[in-house]
Amino acid sequence: MQFRLEKRREPSRLMSYITPFAAVLLTMVLGTVIFSLIGYDGLGAVREIFLTPLTNSYKWQDLGIKAAPLIIIGTGLSIAYRANVWNIGAEGQYVIGGLAGTGIALLTYGMTGWWILPLMVLAGILGGMAYAAIPAFLRTRLNVNEILTSLMLTYASVQLIYYLIRAPWKDPMGMGFPQTRLFSEAARLPTIIPGTIVHLGVPIAVIVGIVAWFIMTRSVFGYRMRVVGAAPHAARYGGFSENKTIWLAMLVSGGLAGLAGVLEVAGPFQRMVPGFPTNYGFTAIIVAFLGRLNPLGVIVAGVVLAITFVGGEVAQTTIGLPNAATGIFQAMMLFFLLAGDILIKYRLRRVSPQPSVGAA
Amino acid sequence: MPNRLELTGITKQFPGVLANDHVSFSVKPGEIHALLGENGAGKSTLVKMIYGIMQPDAGEIRWNGEPVVVPNPKAARKLGIGMVFQHFSLFEALTVLENIALGMDAKIPSRELESRIREVMQTYGLLLDPHRTVATLSVGERQRIEIVRALLLNPQLLIMDEPTSVLTPQEVEQLFTVLRKLAAEGCSILYISHKLHEIKALCDTATILRGGKLVDTCDPKQETSRSMAEKMIGTGLRDIVKGEGRVLGPPKLVVNRLRTGKTGHFDVPVDNVSFTVRSGEILGIAGVAGNGQNALLDALSGEIIGDDREAITIDGYGIGLMNTTERRKQGLCAVPEERNGHAAVGDFSLADNSVLTARDRLGMVVMGLINSGAAKTYTGKVIADFAVKALGPASTAGSLSGGNLQKYIMGREILQKPSVLVVSQPTWGVDAGAAAAIHQALVDLAAAGSAIVVISQDLDELRALCDTLAVINMGRLSEARPVKDFSIEEIGLLMGGVHGTTEGADAIPA
Repeated sequence: MQFRLEKRREPSRLMSYITPFAAVLLTMVLGTVIFSLIGYDGLGAVREIFLTPLTNSYKWQDLGIKAAPLIIIGTGLSIAYRANVWNIGAEGQYVIGGLAGTGIALLTYGMTGWWILPLMVLAGILGGMAYAAIPAFLRTRLNVNEILTSLMLTYASVQLIYYLIRAPWKDPMGMGFPQTRLFSEAARLPTIIPGTIVHLGVPIAVIVGIVAWFIMTRSVFGYRMRVVGAAPHAARYGGFSENKTIWLAMLVSGGLAGLAGVLEVAGPFQRMVPGFPTNYGFTAIIVAFLGRLNPLGVIVAGVVLAITFVGGEVAQTTIGLPNAATGIFQAMMLFFLLAGDILIKYRLRRVSPQPSVGAA
Repeated sequence: MPNRLELTGITKQFPGVLANDHVSFSVKPGEIHALLGENGAGKSTLVKMIYGIMQPDAGEIRWNGEPVVVPNPKAARKLGIGMVFQHFSLFEALTVLENIALGMDAKIPSRELESRIREVMQTYGLLLDPHRTVATLSVGERQRIEIVRALLLNPQLLIMDEPTSVLTPQEVEQLFTVLRKLAAEGCSILYISHKLHEIKALCDTATILRGGKLVDTCDPKQETSRSMAEKMIGTGLRDIVKGEGRVLGPPKLVVNRLRTGKTGHFDVPVDNVSFTVRSGEILGIAGVAGNGQNALLDALSGEIIGDDREAITIDGYGIGLMNTTERRKQGLCAVPEERNGHAAVGDFSLADNSVLTARDRLGMVVMGLINSGAAKTYTGKVIADFAVKALGPASTAGSLSGGNLQKYIMGREILQKPSVLVVSQPTWGVDAGAAAAIHQALVDLAAAGSAIVVISQDLDELRALCDTLAVINMGRLSEARPVKDFSIEEIGLLMGGVHGTTEGADAIPA
């Protein structure tokens, strides 16, 4: 017995909205089965990971601050992926953005002034852009695949943190710990709800998503990204050069990853530490796809992935699930989503071995 | 003697369309039977069911008197049904022999296969060296590979899908000789085409389809081309109305020693092309597919940008270094050959497709934002003026039939009133009624003072439409002359250029 994928005449629009939800649901079901089989409380694991963060109101602030960087990076990636520019190295651009912001914070250490934070944010965005410019340059000039270069640069960026916080940026009062000093007050992101840890990055993330949605649906820039991704040949005919589009896509996605990085270092961390790279840049790839490469969808998807992060931590303490379980759940979600996408465009048909020609 | 093939009440339903509605006809042994119809009339669906690519929902297929079910093409070949498709499935980097061996159902030692190929080629005068690489062959020669491939199976029925759309007049004659010889030996031929004079010259019987239904089965020799065309489209035909005694204006588009670099491995670049098109003039560029037409269109539209500013001028102003957007602003619009994915984006709505090329000329962009209202209004005008069958500006381009999409694309460019319009294959695969409408729109645009370049492989179209004609071969363009100074034979020889005339000499006798 063989199976064959057959293209559908018209992919169902309804199904393309349903699959993200179906993917989350299937992840819960399969997660229950898998973790039950390996001897954990499977149902409990799914409950802790997906429901506890929603039902416990004191977890909501955690959701907000986890979702913010995912939404900001995911928005940038959704724009680049629309144009078929595969920036996989948002994690690296996030790190460089964070480092650029840290650099400003250390330079202005002890100073006060309203301009310090905006300057850090600007530096973070420019840092992310500059780091994304490397794969863009290699792709447009030498035709090097941006997936490889952007991914590999991520590991280089992590080494850069280790170097900086062990030598030039090491906290002089830190008793040898590899970390920078705590930023001064003017370089820390203010919290917006008193008594919580919800910082300014959360509303910024929502605004970024909404503005990006507007730009992608209404502007020539958004049109360019969509047409280059849908039909590169037609894009050239319409006057959109491929190289310029690659540059724009890499710079926008890199810049937003850098923004997320600087908000993260100035918000929750308030100093640069070795644990700064927390895979937000990679998780945002799932966010972008789960959000259907639509910035408004990315906002929702960012919250869903934040739930798994927060819930994963809960499950570690309550059920003793390993930390890696979060990654497994997130990966399952992406897997089901991509599989669903294929089934929207194609139908699975059984091909029985053909009998020879016979009279009917 | 029973009929070779007999179809009774064949019906095929697709979502939203009844592609074939109780179609019944029969093909006798040794008969050359034409299947005529507009695009979307259901011809392709019908032959796909005969060849086993699809299954009918209802109806019966009888083969030599016996009812049969054809589950797949392999079974069809086993029955003795061969098919030559419009689009060849050949690997350019492999030789003729390797390509044929790959397509065989049974595994035959290559030496034996070669001798059989030579035998078939000898018998039917299909001369071709089996060891030549396909990339070096002309389109006519490539088609011969497909025919040889089909003939190796000793078919009793050969289906030919629009076989002459890419051939020179001489190649068409050679093909007809082969087909007549085959028919004389008892092989039936089902010949799909919309070129009526060919059908009159070649076929014994014609079955005409319209909207999935069989309209008539007639003897094409008793009919006029016009009467068959009217049965095909269901209404009277319109002639192209050219204003008599038109005076051509001053030179508008001047192309001077235009050349392009070689891009792909098998692409033919444009080599030292020069021509002048005056205001009000339609220049036709004839040529067999793959002789640099695509590179010429891209070089004119700005998709390929050259290094000489003066290589292309409009009203004396050099645009050779400009990109497509800047050239459009200068008044040069272009329509490439490939509709879906090049001239239009299938996944986008028609309104969004209008933004693709009309955004700057028609002010659809204000401060970086797209004025979707203006795009919708303009698209609605294109749909209305060019009788595009679409639900509205929000329909996706991919949901339109080929002919309707072409009408939309031509309308989108023509209604921008470009001062220079370059089009490739303006009526490829478009039915007679729509083709007439597109031709008339081009003539009207020229009458309003635009300079038009039509690149086409359809000689009838070029001779009816153009004032002057030039022939492109291997990227070089012949001198342009008034179209009435050319004879068909002369155009054919120019089209054949180097390879067309040397095939016989190149081929190794078996």
